[in-house]
Amino acid sequence: MAAADSPSAALRRRDLCSRGIRLAGKMRADVVDLLDAYVEQQGLDASASVAAVEGVPLAAVERWDEQTGTQRLLENLAAYRAFRALLAQMLEEQREQLGEADAGLGRALAAVLLQVSAFTYHLEELLRLESRGIPGEEEDGPPAPPRLSLFEQKLRGLGVLRELAQWAVRSVRDLRQLAKPSPAPGAAPGLAESP
Amino acid sequence: MFSRWNWVACGFYLVLNICSPDASGGLVQSCGHIIPESPVLALGSNFTALCILNESCLDFGNIYASQIIWKIKNRVVPKEQYREINRTVSSVTFNDTSLLATPLTCNILADGQIEQNIYGITVTVGLAPEKPENLSCIVHQMARFTYDMTCTWNPGRHTFLDTQFRLRYSWPEETFPDCIPKDVNNSCTIADIQFFVNTEIWVEAANALGKAESDPLVVDPVDIVKPLSPQNVSVSSGALPNFLKLFWENWISDTVMTLKFNIRYKIVGDTDWMEVPLEDTASPRTSFGIQGLRPYTKYVFSIRCMKEDGLGYWSDWSEEKTGITAADKPSKGPPIWRIIDASHSPAFWTVHLMWKPLKPFEANGVILQYEVTVRDKSSLSSPPKKYNVTSTNHTLQLLIGTYEVTLIARNSVGASPPSVLLIPANNSKGPVKNLRTLPKHDKLWVGWTAPNSYVLKYVIEWCLVSSSSDCIIEWQIAPGDVQGVDLKGIKPFKCYLITVYPLYADGQGSGQSVKAYLKQDRPSKGPTVQTKKVGKAEAVLTWNHLTVEEQNGFIRNYTILYKTIDGNETVVTVDPSKTEYTLSSLTSDTLYTVRMMASTDNGSRTGPDFTFTTQKFGKGEIEAIVVPVCLAFLLIVLLGVLFCFNKRDLIKKHIWPIVPDPSKSNIAHWSPQVPAKHNFNSKDQMYPEGSFTDVSVVEIEADDKKSFSEQDLKPFDLLKKEKSTSEGHSSGIGGSSCMSSPRQSVSDSDEGETTQNTSSTVQYSTVVLNGYRDQTPVQVFSRSESTQPLLDSEERSEDHAGGADIPAQRQQYFRQNGGQDETNTDRPCFERTKQITHANEGDLVGFVQLQISGQSSQPLGLGMEKNTQEAALSNVLQTCTEGQTVRPETVEENPLSVDEMPKSYLPQTVRQGGYMPQ
Repeated sequence: MAAADSPSAALRRRDLCSRGIRLAGKMRADVVDLLDAYVEQQGLDASASVAAVEGVPLAAVERWDEQTGTQRLLENLAAYRAFRALLAQMLEEQREQLGEADAGLGRALAAVLLQVSAFTYHLEELLRLESRGIPGEEEDGPPAPPRLSLFEQKLRGLGVLRELAQWAVRSVRDLRQLAKPSPAPGAAPGLAESP
Repeated sequence: MFSRWNWVACGFYLVLNICSPDASGGLVQSCGHIIPESPVLALGSNFTALCILNESCLDFGNIYASQIIWKIKNRVVPKEQYREINRTVSSVTFNDTSLLATPLTCNILADGQIEQNIYGITVTVGLAPEKPENLSCIVHQMARFTYDMTCTWNPGRHTFLDTQFRLRYSWPEETFPDCIPKDVNNSCTIADIQFFVNTEIWVEAANALGKAESDPLVVDPVDIVKPLSPQNVSVSSGALPNFLKLFWENWISDTVMTLKFNIRYKIVGDTDWMEVPLEDTASPRTSFGIQGLRPYTKYVFSIRCMKEDGLGYWSDWSEEKTGITAADKPSKGPPIWRIIDASHSPAFWTVHLMWKPLKPFEANGVILQYEVTVRDKSSLSSPPKKYNVTSTNHTLQLLIGTYEVTLIARNSVGASPPSVLLIPANNSKGPVKNLRTLPKHDKLWVGWTAPNSYVLKYVIEWCLVSSSSDCIIEWQIAPGDVQGVDLKGIKPFKCYLITVYPLYADGQGSGQSVKAYLKQDRPSKGPTVQTKKVGKAEAVLTWNHLTVEEQNGFIRNYTILYKTIDGNETVVTVDPSKTEYTLSSLTSDTLYTVRMMASTDNGSRTGPDFTFTTQKFGKGEIEAIVVPVCLAFLLIVLLGVLFCFNKRDLIKKHIWPIVPDPSKSNIAHWSPQVPAKHNFNSKDQMYPEGSFTDVSVVEIEADDKKSFSEQDLKPFDLLKKEKSTSEGHSSGIGGSSCMSSPRQSVSDSDEGETTQNTSSTVQYSTVVLNGYRDQTPVQVFSRSESTQPLLDSEERSEDHAGGADIPAQRQQYFRQNGGQDETNTDRPCFERTKQITHANEGDLVGFVQLQISGQSSQPLGLGMEKNTQEAALSNVLQTCTEGQTVRPETVEENPLSVDEMPKSYLPQTVRQGGYMPQ
């Protein structure tokens, strides 16, 4: 926490949080738009029920307000690393399925993938400011997905995007929580605060 | 001999080595090569190349490194730059690569004479790239979710080489593909840039000589966005007359960035924009209400946006949208004025009321009508008269008096405050003073000094002065507290008559006028000058004033320029009010060219040239010359008359010689049977008055017939034809005057012909009749009309007695030399002689002496005819003498009376047609 105590570190954290909030907000907006395009493109029903995506932590969490800042960052990092891998796989499958026929959907997927990557960077930087080690990707990464049918790939993609949209909302809240001025040292352990 | 063959063999081998295809690769097998191969060199650096000869060439070609010659293009590199490293290697060094050119070749001088190329390389000289500077980026919003980032930089100096520029950018843990510019080297655009991550951007330049990178630019692309301008802008007006609300849509959602706005607006037609204060629109919004606008006014709006925190760039202005504020009642009454025409009746006025339409910001709506109220101030009991008018003028017939006119403009909302105009019975109040004008750009400022009394307002009238049309009055009202106004709509180069009236609370002051130009120019034409009167040394010039349209300004003066053809030009300046000028001190009888120039403050224009010639004589000079000359002439004439009168006898003697009266002649007493011999010596007796002043003798040879021309003989031919009956009898004597021309002599029947010759003639002749055959001729004296010389026989009888045969050979003609028409007189006689000669077949003797011989069948008749003719001749003679008209009819008539006439000479006074003294 030594780094977090310095004024520059505080400014850096505030800046990272601010950008992360806006990035998460934009990511959510883009994912919502992408969802509409994806459902239409893949011929899916927007109201279709999709099972939870394996390897992605649930955005909804109990006792969210009791989480520490580090916990929030770590959960976010795990989730977005999973999203990054899933979106990369979706992009690959998209290219295999449609080739260059629907470049717009591919560009939108790539843009969201970039935003996820950027947000992951933000989270890692914030964790560095907390002087916390950054977990390795391999140990936190999702397991290799089983070989799925085309329809299952489409449904999984739909589930990934829906979950990403939810996570974007949660991330905004998490970062806003982190962006609040830190309480006096010793008042609470870590980044724990009430929302 | 061996050496020679050896060198030939070597050369042949060398050529074979250079030119023959290689057995292995089919390429040219060279005798050497250059190191380095086609290098790229930095401009200005030094460079060393090595030419390495193959060993095989040494054995067969006897060539060594010492024989190598380096060349740049076709220019031999100086030997000082060579260095022979060993027997197969030669180097060349260049201290400055800017002196290099392509190709650099290694050549060998085989056998000391034949130069062969061994190898060549291409040398490329250039510069390493400089570090790109001034890198800057801007993110353009292309669509709602699409952002492109365009970065520009300064590529640095020209490298002369193919230099690659790459725009690179990366996140801390993400590297993106490079952006390689197309066709340019100083900008590149990255598509689909992502926000909210600090991105490191830099430019890399590389070529064969090196690589350079710009300083990195670390920026979150969202901070350098130039967003699209707001779309779907609309304007709505509410019930308030000074309020409009603007609506729009943003391209960027709040999740990406929040925006602030900048709104501008203006009245349609204006050029200057007004802006809503930025602090009023510094927060995200999609509408804004603008207050403080004019009622019933059309406004145009435009809006732009940028990131709320001020980072990035303003968008372009949106499309312009217009809106109209609601109407309100007119804010003021229309300015009103009048023109009074009192010419129709002494008791009535024709009052033309006129007012100006309210300006849009004053009308605050559409003016539906005007209400005019006229109140007679002199008769308070009479009710005011009201008129509703839709135009901007109204004409009234009013008794002369004082009136108060009230005007109200009304629109859909309400009525304006009233405008009041007082029309007094007379303008007896004080006028403005010191009225003046001053041009100010496109306006004409009119200034004045206020009268001493309080003035409510001023009315400024002006009109364009025209020579062809009436002055159409324009006017405007100025408040009473000003002393000058700017008149708009004034045209340059036009003359305006400006009048200012002060309006008082209780009356109106008289108007003061001034003429003015907004801008002057030189006249459009010059005056046409002409002369009114031209004298010997002066000329009065006249011209007409230029019309006001031609003046283009105030004519300050006229300039008259006149000169002679070869003289200097004289310039005279004339007051502009004059239309006539007298040029003096001119040279007489000289052509002058005059032209006239009209000048304004801004230039002059010259009219056409006019020329005139001064008179040779001045007024009275001709009279002074002519009168004395006439008097002198009259005096000379008078003296001449007096002289002639004194010398009348002498003159008469020469001009009008006294002709003796035959009736008083003593010949009347002659006996016809015994004619007395004429005494030719007694000339004084015959011509007692001495008519003959001189006598000359012309001798003609008898054989000289041929000397007469055919022309001379023609008349005789005619005579021969026309007078065939009398041929041979009356020829020669036949009734023709000696004064007559040959034609006249022939045309005896032409009664109208007259004889003009008045010369003196021989008045008497002696007719000698030869005896018939051997008979003794009878000498007869007869009066002769002929101008012929006296007959030779008569002369001979006096002067040459006994010479009877001489006349046959030689004839003498007396020639009278006393008349003034001496020559003319002589010639007819001479011609007549020829005529007669012709008639007698050339016998001049017979003609001269008129010998009546046997050839005549009627000798007696001839003699009588002769007498008859003689009488006629005497008549003609008189005609000749006195210049009277010949009457040839007497000759024609004579033959009819021949039988009745006595056969002797009788005084002709007793015979009809005989000689009558004139």
